[in-house]
Amino acid sequence: MANVLEILNLSKKYPGGVQALNALTLEVAEGSIYGLLGPNGSGKTTTLGIVLDVLRADQGSFNWFGLPLSKETKRRIGAILETPNFYPYLSATQNLKIIANIKNTGHQEIEPVLRTVGLLQRRNSAYKEFSLGMKQRLALAAALLGNPQVLVLDEPTNGLDPQGIAEVREIIKQVAGQGKTIILASHLLDEVQKVCTHMAVLQAGKLKIAGRVDAILAHQDQVIIRAENLAAALALLPQLPQVSNFRQDNNSLVLTLANNFTSTDLNQAFFQQGIILSELTVRKKSLEAQFLDIITNTTTNQ
Amino acid sequence: MSKLLQIELQKLLPYRTFWVILFIYSAFLLLFAYASSHITINGQQSGSQIYQFPGIWMKLSYVASYFNLLLGILLIILITDEYAFRTFRQHVIDGLFRKDLVASKYLVILLVGLIATTILTLIGLVFGITYNQHITPGLLFSGSMHVVYYLVQAIGYMSIAVLFGFLIRKNGLAIISFLGYTKIVEPLIHWRLNDNLDQYFPMKVLSSLTPMPGQEVLDVLTGPTSALNPQQAVLPAILYIGLFYALAYLVLKVRDL
Repeated sequence: MANVLEILNLSKKYPGGVQALNALTLEVAEGSIYGLLGPNGSGKTTTLGIVLDVLRADQGSFNWFGLPLSKETKRRIGAILETPNFYPYLSATQNLKIIANIKNTGHQEIEPVLRTVGLLQRRNSAYKEFSLGMKQRLALAAALLGNPQVLVLDEPTNGLDPQGIAEVREIIKQVAGQGKTIILASHLLDEVQKVCTHMAVLQAGKLKIAGRVDAILAHQDQVIIRAENLAAALALLPQLPQVSNFRQDNNSLVLTLANNFTSTDLNQAFFQQGIILSELTVRKKSLEAQFLDIITNTTTNQ
Repeated sequence: MSKLLQIELQKLLPYRTFWVILFIYSAFLLLFAYASSHITINGQQSGSQIYQFPGIWMKLSYVASYFNLLLGILLIILITDEYAFRTFRQHVIDGLFRKDLVASKYLVILLVGLIATTILTLIGLVFGITYNQHITPGLLFSGSMHVVYYLVQAIGYMSIAVLFGFLIRKNGLAIISFLGYTKIVEPLIHWRLNDNLDQYFPMKVLSSLTPMPGQEVLDVLTGPTSALNPQQAVLPAILYIGLFYALAYLVLKVRDL
């Protein structure tokens, strides 16, 4: 499938000297729900700000739909960056009319998008009277104007109560169901795992890992082993192809299996080397533990 | 272009600040026009003298030049609002480019300039017709070039204000800098510099467009000051407007939004 967005070697340093992005390269395929995951300050918003034309990159390039940025490509993208941005003294409808004019799309689309986000009843209320949840939903409505092929959402559930979060996620899934590509920045692994098909993990402006969500999160199970001769086992570990990562935890060893290997393979490998394991436990890692593993692991496997 | 103007009108027309400032501008102008017609000099009401065509256009545009600051402040508010609401940012995300942001605000400048000039013309016509006995169309509009000079001046003032707005982005600071430059910094430069040089400075060029009525008389008393006459000032004023437009665009282009 064609790529909707391609980012090549993007770097940006803020005037304060913070290296926000460091040679970031990414591809987002058409039809995917792409999660951009990372702790606060990892470069997610900077990345989106650059590809949305509001921030300047120091180096690198990007293209949308294989084309340079133009009025036409912008029209095919609906985006929210950080906060909902509207005129506080204008009503929901008045605000959306301005955006419809910028996107060169008809005003008849305003009612349907307000209905989609559940704000039709409040369409004539001034924006400044809206709750945070309503503001977020109005921003979603604005992003949906002009029936864009790609939706870019930066922390769309930030600051919402659980009901608001559920509503926004429901809208995202509904939109994705129409075959649109969605790029979603979030610091919540849980959110990315629930909503996304693909993900990229950023930390300190660098890409840690990118790929399908199930591929990244499934093969990272941990195995905990004990043996009579722990020192011999420890010495053997670096040579085993089955193990991608290990550490000692008191008198047990915590291992991460390499892709395509199971605990059976591991047990067999030890047995062949004459080391008998006294205990072998497979532990499904919690999402948080996996996330921490990804961002502390220095190797990038794409 | 008409699309950009339409978008600006959608923001402006429901905005109370816009109407309040235009109202204050009209009220001040009206008040000055009215009050000065009731000054009694040597037992004679000045009204009939002040409002004789064609001199009225020069006098009124000189009075109006003092209220250009209000128009400048309006433009600064409109621009710094867009930064505060982050709507410039959203516009660029939604489909505009930085050059469109500058162009939109210059369309607003043109619009506000035309409104102010219209108000000035209406006030001139009402007072002029009231105080003149024999009126012919030729007499009515002789000297009305001063109204056009005023339009150029108003656009010039607002262009400087717009540049301060784009440069500083915070409303209070931008307004203070704008007033500080126009009322303190440039007058200080004028004071230090030779007249031959400072007549080409932006505020001096703009104020040359609406010279003080009776300056000729003063010059006889104090010796001539070298300043451009209105016709000479038009071209440099337009060049300055172009320069401020280019600088505003440059400021937007090199910075993050």
